Amino acid sequence: MLEFFLDILGTTGKKFVNFVANIGHFFIFFCNAIYWVFKPPWYLKKIFQQILDIGYFSLPVVGLTTFFSGMVLALQTYNGFTEFNSESTVARIVLTSITRELGPVLTGLMVAGRIGAKMAAEIATMRVTEQIDALGTLGTRPMQYLIAPKIIASLVCIPLLVLIGNTIGILGGYVIAIYKLNFNPSLYLYATMEYLQLIDIIQGTVKAAIFGLIISMVSCYFGYNASKGAEGVGFATTSSVVISSVMILTSTYIITALFFG
Amino acid sequence: MKKRKNKKIIIKVSDLSKSFNNNIVLKNINFQLLEGESLAIIGASGSGKSVLLKNVIGILQPDKGSIEINDTEMVNLPRNLKEKVLLDLGITFQHGALFDSLKNWENIIFKTAIREKLNKKQGKQLAFSIIKQLGLQPDILDLYPSEISGGMQKRVAIARAICGNPKILLFDEPTSGLDPVTGSLIDKLIKTAVRSVGGSAITITHDMASVCRIADKVILIDKQTISWSGKPEEMFNSANSKIQEFIKSINSEVLFK
Repeated sequence: MLEFFLDILGTTGKKFVNFVANIGHFFIFFCNAIYWVFKPPWYLKKIFQQILDIGYFSLPVVGLTTFFSGMVLALQTYNGFTEFNSESTVARIVLTSITRELGPVLTGLMVAGRIGAKMAAEIATMRVTEQIDALGTLGTRPMQYLIAPKIIASLVCIPLLVLIGNTIGILGGYVIAIYKLNFNPSLYLYATMEYLQLIDIIQGTVKAAIFGLIISMVSCYFGYNASKGAEGVGFATTSSVVISSVMILTSTYIITALFFG
Repeated sequence: MKKRKNKKIIIKVSDLSKSFNNNIVLKNINFQLLEGESLAIIGASGSGKSVLLKNVIGILQPDKGSIEINDTEMVNLPRNLKEKVLLDLGITFQHGALFDSLKNWENIIFKTAIREKLNKKQGKQLAFSIIKQLGLQPDILDLYPSEISGGMQKRVAIARAICGNPKILLFDEPTSGLDPVTGSLIDKLIKTAVRSVGGSAITITHDMASVCRIADKVILIDKQTISWSGKPEEMFNSANSKIQEFIKSINSEVLFK
């Protein structure tokens, strides 16, 4: 009986120690990566490639997601608030929900799925095929050449994607409000502009930048530390998407609480 | 300056040991690579040859021992200083390790382009001048590594290693997966690269024909240690059972003709 409990204690303890060690390992990687983000020379071609990939090529998926979210939000809000001043209420709820939460979070989750997985798989494949080792022997620092451009591009692109996503989301709400719910366009637009707050935009942009950091750091970390061939690449890819998504949802609460709590 | 028979010691490995999770891979390894010398490291699969090479170039950290390259102690050397030493080395990895996202010509001139800021035209010209020696066609330059055969990838990796005429060349199984004719071509190239620039080379290989063609000295890694070392022709008179197993597969008369 005692042996059984000792076994459980041993296994739990080992997992806990591993967990703490992994956090420490991630923290070292994080500091190292931040150092290389600010250390010249910057590989501008690589940064531009990443901006194109993260920003431009993510636009359709982000646009589509936020557009339909805005539409759903307008429809659901209308159903709940028909007896009140609908134009004003629907416009306000669509605007606030999109700019404060749905825009940044949906964009973050979409980018985590699309770009985070790609980053992790690419770096993990490079790790298991010795390409990262080769980089180190060819006068290039892998952190500077591979990781820093991805972090810089994420920090630039995701806030911009969120701003665009917010606009498309609000447009989605507008389309439903005007063409399905038959609201007055002028009144709806007036209500939207009236409730537009700078703090909401700032908060959404801050969230987006933090999500960009989370997605790039987590994906690069799992990719960079991949091992065990194809299985390791799969593990890195899955882990990066799951951990990024969980961290996005956790951090959105913390940021909201800091801004509006 | 350390010298032996008027030849400078390029790489000196002393008492090197390496283990992974209590599994000892290398134990008290000692060898030297002299200037202008071509050293072949042979051994069964999993004997630790590639691990030894990765220790030499600093990808792996030995548990104990010392590695000197051009009189610079590499173990625990700061990263920036280690990079300077590595710039003088041309290295090929076991599986090529070409960068998937770069075209073949960009792969070949990768290191030189960083040092010399080559433009696209200069880079392609340089890459072309190297692949000619390796029997590759110029049309592969604009392709990606995934678009060429494994044998071609191997040769592009060798082209990357010899680009810039480094004085120290380290090859991890350069002829594995190549047909005998191309293998022989690579051997000649290694020999030429060593002689023309007065360089030194370490080649890890299973190919005994290749060993006989390129090596001035051979070391055999077996049971975690160097179990035999000597000149290629001495292998044929060696009583070492592992060496005998290796040379059983070859016909010495044909090789040395």
